[in-house]
Amino acid sequence: MEKQEPVIRVIDLKKKFGDRQILSGINLDIHKGEIFVIMGGSGCGKSTLLRHLIGALTPDEGSVYLLGQDISKLNEDQMDPIRKKIGMSYQGSALFDSMTVGENVSLPLREHTKLDPNVISIMVKMKLELVGLRGFENLMPSQLSGGMKKRVGISRAFAMDPEIVFYDEPTAGLDPIVTAVMDKLIVDLSKALSVTSVVVTHDMNSVFRIADRIAMLYEGRVVEVGTRDEIRNSKNPYVQQFVSGSPDGPIKFFQQKDDYLETLTA
Amino acid sequence: MQIKVEDKNTVTICYVTGDIDINTAPDIKKTFDRVIQGKKPKVLVNFQSVNYVDSSGLATLVEFLKNIRAYGGKLKLCTMSPKIKSLFEITKLDRLFEIAPAEGDAVTSFA
Repeated sequence: MEKQEPVIRVIDLKKKFGDRQILSGINLDIHKGEIFVIMGGSGCGKSTLLRHLIGALTPDEGSVYLLGQDISKLNEDQMDPIRKKIGMSYQGSALFDSMTVGENVSLPLREHTKLDPNVISIMVKMKLELVGLRGFENLMPSQLSGGMKKRVGISRAFAMDPEIVFYDEPTAGLDPIVTAVMDKLIVDLSKALSVTSVVVTHDMNSVFRIADRIAMLYEGRVVEVGTRDEIRNSKNPYVQQFVSGSPDGPIKFFQQKDDYLETLTA
Repeated sequence: MQIKVEDKNTVTICYVTGDIDINTAPDIKKTFDRVIQGKKPKVLVNFQSVNYVDSSGLATLVEFLKNIRAYGGKLKLCTMSPKIKSLFEITKLDRLFEIAPAEGDAVTSFA
């Protein structure tokens, strides 16, 4: 049987901010229908990688193929039809505080389609049902808990029936029970609606609950890609340290440079 | 996408061909609205030539049902592919709509 083309393919992606090399040659294939987790410590480049995957940043070198198209070569107009096929759930939910829950969820539909308002209103109920928040349409974001806001953000990410949904730190700042609920929601939605899910997180409990495959990033490189079991049993010392959460190991949390005293007196 | 409406005896049948999605749902709604204006009492949507339905398509059908019920009419759906039928099941809409396996079954069940 012929192997399916990946829905996302990253080839030798490099990115610098100023003199700082953030991504140093990332290669990844993400397949249709899988839950793919990108994990790594703070500053490892995972959020920068995510921003390339959704077309918010352009690579210095390399390519990002999304649904078969090299998005690094597309202009804004050409990106538009692709953006309609992806959904994004932001770390801070990114809800508009001045809009109701219903208005937040319906925003992409009102902006990008010619659907009748009555049809949109029914769709909002359906999308909120997906995340267990039907009946909350008329509340304001300020009247919701952190976990509920995240669920509204996910509901909005699904508004346009995307083929791929990206989640940026979906469980950051949530208590353990709400975290488990969010994890289950991501798995249930991915499987029920057959979408490809790309999740950026450093929450190891979540990683091992939701991932079909995992990529670990360190200093702008992919150090390993594997299934949950492969990552859990990895011999790679970077992966072992991250999974165990140990302060000792090859992953450095502080810059150790010899020129500290010189810089103080310069 | 194409939509054709035919009256067969007392049943008004909407034959949809192609996808019912964000791009085509507004046009399908226009046709549905004409059926509603005619206050047709027995309406059937035939899915035999429908390849794909997205959530805007589902919502358009729900709105159609709501408007038909408002004047006391009945709406049924028929001849869905297993893939589309499972979409109705996932979204629990199979409990809202009467879905018949074939057009003949649906027409008979109106009587």
